Amino acid sequence: MNDIIKVSNLTHDYGHGRGVFDVSFTVKKGETLGFLGPNGAGKSTTMRHLMGFSSPQSGNVSINGLDCRKSTGRIMEKVGYLPGEVALPDGLNGREFIKMMQGMHKTKNDERTAYLLKKFRLDTDVPVRKMSIGEKRKLAVVTAFMSDPDILLLDEPTSGLDPLMQEVFIDFIKEEKQRGKTILLSSHIFSEVEALCDRIAIIKDGRLVSTVDAQEVRHGLHNIMTVEFKDKDDLLQFCNSGLELSGRDDKHLRCSVKVYDEDINAFISAVKCLKIKGFSEHSVTLEEYFMHFYKKDRATGGVCYA
Amino acid sequence: MLSLPLLKQSIKSNAVMWGSMTGVMTLLCIQFSSLDMTRSLLFTIFYGMMTTILPGIYVLVTANKLLASQVDRGSMAYVLSTPIKRSTVTFTQAFYLVNSLVLMFAIQTGAHLIVNNISPISFATLGLNMLKGDLTSKMIIQVNLSALMVCIALAAVCFMFSGVFSSSKYAVGLSGAFTGVSILANMLAMFGSLGVEGLDKFKYLTICTFYDYQSVLFSDSDWMVKMIFPIAIAVIAFGIGEIVFSKKDLPL
Ligand SMILES: Nc1ncnc2c1ncn2[C@@H]1O[C@H](COP(=O)(O)OP(=O)(O)O)[C@@H](O)[C@H]1O
Ligand SMILES: [Mg+2]
Repeated sequence: MNDIIKVSNLTHDYGHGRGVFDVSFTVKKGETLGFLGPNGAGKSTTMRHLMGFSSPQSGNVSINGLDCRKSTGRIMEKVGYLPGEVALPDGLNGREFIKMMQGMHKTKNDERTAYLLKKFRLDTDVPVRKMSIGEKRKLAVVTAFMSDPDILLLDEPTSGLDPLMQEVFIDFIKEEKQRGKTILLSSHIFSEVEALCDRIAIIKDGRLVSTVDAQEVRHGLHNIMTVEFKDKDDLLQFCNSGLELSGRDDKHLRCSVKVYDEDINAFISAVKCLKIKGFSEHSVTLEEYFMHFYKKDRATGGVCYA
Repeated sequence: MLSLPLLKQSIKSNAVMWGSMTGVMTLLCIQFSSLDMTRSLLFTIFYGMMTTILPGIYVLVTANKLLASQVDRGSMAYVLSTPIKRSTVTFTQAFYLVNSLVLMFAIQTGAHLIVNNISPISFATLGLNMLKGDLTSKMIIQVNLSALMVCIALAAVCFMFSGVFSSSKYAVGLSGAFTGVSILANMLAMFGSLGVEGLDKFKYLTICTFYDYQSVLFSDSDWMVKMIFPIAIAVIAFGIGEIVFSKKDLPL
């Protein structure tokens, strides 16, 4: 019963290869799962099933052990949802919208609401219709969090926010993580997923490509060290030092090696006594790691990872 | 079953439309029942057409706003992200729609009762020479009750389309066609009953046929029997709207 959010073999085919196909993942209590994928990959479709808006054609989606379609009302007592597209009801101003949502949630936590309004610097006296996209977004964020739910479904939460507010938001989510919230966060932005998530599920064309532990991925990343030598003897000696070669250019007396964090001392002892002309380091980021999944095996079959 | 915050939001967001339709209907009623120039047309024009046209426009616009348009725009996602069930949403919205109509007719009826008590209108003025005496308060209430039931049935059909379709385009299109045909056929049928040959057949094309003010004026019970049909239509249509809306996939 440690799995709060559970998606098993979720399939919903909208035709023309669109939809989600056999998607399975779980989010454990207190965990933040990043749901990463390009536009149209099926992130919002999966969220819609978790919210009980759609029924799966096959497979199961449950939250807290309850079927998302059959027990929507009960599940929603514990869930905060931030929709991917902001379409607020018209004819209200910010304060009225907040009041309406408080009424429908049957919770009234004025202290927390005030804290959120201050944190996201939101003026609630403006009619919703006149708000900019960013302000609407912030209002949606405030209403999603104001009843202090244990489970959060956030669909591309930072889209539409300016960089400053994105930072505020990321800090805020870190706070919520500290407070033990279970979070599913969809995004197409690597950096925010990298900054926030414990595990990352990558979805592409409606199918899960891989689910990885963020810590492991970070650890598994390596640096490419390129060293340029003054003479050929040193170059040869370096190449034979047992480090993993990734490139060699005899004309310019250059050599590149792949260095994992734990190999860094071996690398330093290998270059210590050699005459070096130049040196450069290139870190492989999480982003490059994911670009690999994005670009690989497109429908065209081309591999574009350089 | 009923969500008060949602009801409040529905009242607020439909207040302008409800207020203007109620206002226009009440003012027209006062005019037709008090001014000498128009008194003779109180039944042919006002009770014959206005009590279906004005509420018809109101329910057409409002029923769509209560469900389909909120799904179409996406704002329904906020309502359904709270512990409120879909069945509570449809019940609350249907409750609003029916009761806003009841209130609309209550205000209009109240105004007519006041005017009629100050200066009663005789059947002779209405061109009904075979009847003796004046229009009574009881008749006014009965006529409006008969009209209200038909308007509730119209509202239920529009609400059904609003619950079935997730796009305003289809909900308004079909509701509009249904209300438009009902009202238009009713007008043509009325000209038929006034003596235009062949037009009386149109009464079979409209649910407004179940609204029978003649029967009230002639003090028979036809109008009460005829109320069964709009009530049945309303129950069925609200039921279908509610079931489909609760079961379907919402593109939110
Ligand atoms: N109700 C629907 N009818 C038809 N196609 C849909 C529907 N909902 C989503 N899709 C399609 O499914 C794919 C996934 O969409 P979505 O989940 O919104 O992607 P994203 O990962 O960007 O959130 C898209 O190609 C979209 O066009
Ligand atoms: Mg999306």
